[in-house]
Amino acid sequence: MIERLETDVLILGSGGAGLFAALHAHQTDANLVVTVATKGLLGKCGCTRMVQGGYNVALNPGDSIERHFMDTIEGGKWLPNQAMAWTLVTKAIERVHELENEVGCFFDRNPDGTLHGKAFAGQTFDRTVHKGDLTGIEIINRLMEQVWARPIRRLEEHRAVALIPAKDGASLAGVLMVDVRTGRLRFVAARAVLLATGAGPTMYRYHTPSGDKSMDGLAMALRLGLPLRDMEMVQFHPTGLLAGPDTRMTGTVLEEGLRGAGGHLINGNGERFMAARDARAERATRDFVSRCIFEEMRAHRTTRNGGVHLKMSHLGPERVRAEFKGMVERCADCGFDLAGGLVEVVPTAHYLMGGVVCDVDTATEMPGLFVAGEDAGGAHGANRLGGNGVANSTVFGGIAGESMAAWVAKNGGHRPPDEAVIEAEAARALTPFARKAGDLNPLRERLLETMWEDVGVIRDAGGLKRGLDKLDGIEAELLATGVGEGDRDFNLTWHDWLNLCSLVAASKAIAAAALARKNSRGAHFREDFPGEGDLGTSTFTVVRQRQGALEVADEPVAFTLVKPGQSLLKEAAQ
Amino acid sequence: MAMAMAIEVSIWRGRANGRYQTFTVPLDQSQTVLDVVTWVQRKLDPTLAYRFACRVGMCGSCAMTVNGRPRWTCRTHISKVVEAGRVEIGPLANMPIIKDLVCDMAEFFAKWQRAKGAFAPGKSRHDPIERISPAAAERVAADAAIECINCAVCYAACDTVRWNENYLGPAALNRAWTLVNDVRDAGQRERLAALAADGGCHACHSHHSCQEHCPKALSPVRSIAGLKRRSLEAYVRGEL
Repeated sequence: MIERLETDVLILGSGGAGLFAALHAHQTDANLVVTVATKGLLGKCGCTRMVQGGYNVALNPGDSIERHFMDTIEGGKWLPNQAMAWTLVTKAIERVHELENEVGCFFDRNPDGTLHGKAFAGQTFDRTVHKGDLTGIEIINRLMEQVWARPIRRLEEHRAVALIPAKDGASLAGVLMVDVRTGRLRFVAARAVLLATGAGPTMYRYHTPSGDKSMDGLAMALRLGLPLRDMEMVQFHPTGLLAGPDTRMTGTVLEEGLRGAGGHLINGNGERFMAARDARAERATRDFVSRCIFEEMRAHRTTRNGGVHLKMSHLGPERVRAEFKGMVERCADCGFDLAGGLVEVVPTAHYLMGGVVCDVDTATEMPGLFVAGEDAGGAHGANRLGGNGVANSTVFGGIAGESMAAWVAKNGGHRPPDEAVIEAEAARALTPFARKAGDLNPLRERLLETMWEDVGVIRDAGGLKRGLDKLDGIEAELLATGVGEGDRDFNLTWHDWLNLCSLVAASKAIAAAALARKNSRGAHFREDFPGEGDLGTSTFTVVRQRQGALEVADEPVAFTLVKPGQSLLKEAAQ
Repeated sequence: MAMAMAIEVSIWRGRANGRYQTFTVPLDQSQTVLDVVTWVQRKLDPTLAYRFACRVGMCGSCAMTVNGRPRWTCRTHISKVVEAGRVEIGPLANMPIIKDLVCDMAEFFAKWQRAKGAFAPGKSRHDPIERISPAAAERVAADAAIECINCAVCYAACDTVRWNENYLGPAALNRAWTLVNDVRDAGQRERLAALAADGGCHACHSHHSCQEHCPKALSPVRSIAGLKRRSLEAYVRGEL
């Protein structure tokens, strides 16, 4: 029995993108019924809340949007969609004003009372606005309060399982969901839907995102046949905590600033290996340091749990305790002495630059479906600057709210859903109750291991093909594995099964795109094709699922604002 | 800690009329209370329900009652709470139980709103960002209380919440105190009226459980004392 609900606008996700979309849809048309559906509690799941660094925005008179734009394009190795990157850097200014003046965020100030901008890697100006090292908590807490204060409906602990097209296939009709608390299926009919579930590459042995993330948004988009771009672009952060196999602490990020401040990386032989690899040593870019650590691991020059050591003590434990209070406390809670001792670290999957292809107004190929935040592809290209993540989700989330309200006004009412798809998707979601109960843990382990070993920091054709084969095997076994007869209410093991299904689907898209890109750009490194290729003829990958199989195409990057070798800064100066 | 040791873990099962069920879980060197709960769900009883998200003390989703004391489970090493080889894990107190270790936080968030815990803007995105000295007394007071992640540990620890279901509770009042000190906010009179009403700041009995248990070492007691003072001043001035 599938319950039915109706709303005008349905937003999947309650991070920076989802909450901003809700506020802006409501502001644009207060008569719209706006509903936010979220896998956990509103504002308390997902990753915007976990932002430590801050928010890139060109506010200082010495900075410029052109400069922020060029940093974003060069950081993204010329792959970003330039219209999206331009929108990101221009709208960020209005968004930060809105966060301060209307939402109520209070960001750190200079002594003269103006906003403080801190230095962040890969940027030519200190433009990262922040609230200490807990910027995300300030942004999400304040957004959450503003959403609560309005007549915006909430479907908390509701998990989306499928995007449902209209009967005529010409637009989206709504979303099939599981009410986690009751275990019942619900079809929510909506005139417009925003996909803002926040991707999150949690299919790697070591990963930083919130533990509830499972790429449901991208898996649903694949099943609907939508194009996904830049899926090979998975950003690895070089210093994830390595605490052993059976703890959720493993993979959680130890901040960039630790290396910036002068932390050393020491391999299992006690050698400071980065010094020989790059003039900047540990301060080299995230992707390069990650690869160097991975090579140490491959050569078995590792520490007890198979990583390397991060050493801060030579800076003086007192100074480390004062400058990195949050990190030192977190390590101490877990039994590690960051200030005075050695902490085992490992590269860890942090962010997916790839996502659903969309326009600057967040519209996708499917009329009625919009996408924003980490589920959307294009703004970051081959790499994301630290501080551009929360700017991206809040900028495009707000735009999505306005776009959806305008689209609904123009395109009328609800469309009748394709009942056959609802039925098939409901059956798919309930598959594990019809199978013999099995053990999901070995399947999870195999997925994490496959992605780490074969589709990870350093890739080659042999490994990627092996990885794709293994993923097919894991998927087949998963579909044959049941979760027992237990109650469906708050049944986490059923949700583990659904998580794995989505993660395997997205993993196949990542591996297929990585196999197709025969060069090394930004976060993507092919040992068999180590060169970056010709920048002027850059292409980006587009993956689609047709009849259950993945197809990968290359599309040329449109250099609409600036070409490789040029800079908007020089032109601005002329 | 010896690696081969195991502990007895008693976990609350069911709803209000549930009971504790005991499991044996092997100890590991790096293991939090959340890891122990996860181990039970993954290896011993797939039907166990619990709530978590970020894993690192930012989202405030995984707080539970551990040996009678509310705390974050993701940031509590198991060795801190094991007593004579045993540990007892239940859902947070003062909120209805949804299932097993999951409680319903709806009332907690509703009270946050009743306390006028949302910023009331006086300006728009088209106005300049206000210049505010970080050393201004009101800003210093707000900053001291702002890092709350709404985990509800203080709310679960509060005796007054237990006795008086109308009481807004320490987290909501602490948030309101940061707004009372926000010079940009345009809703102060209405907020103070809400805070001075029945169940507001004057209902606090200063038992200090909130600040004893706050994982962020915040002091809702000090925030509530500030609110009491401000609302009395407003009353004297005839503003309430």
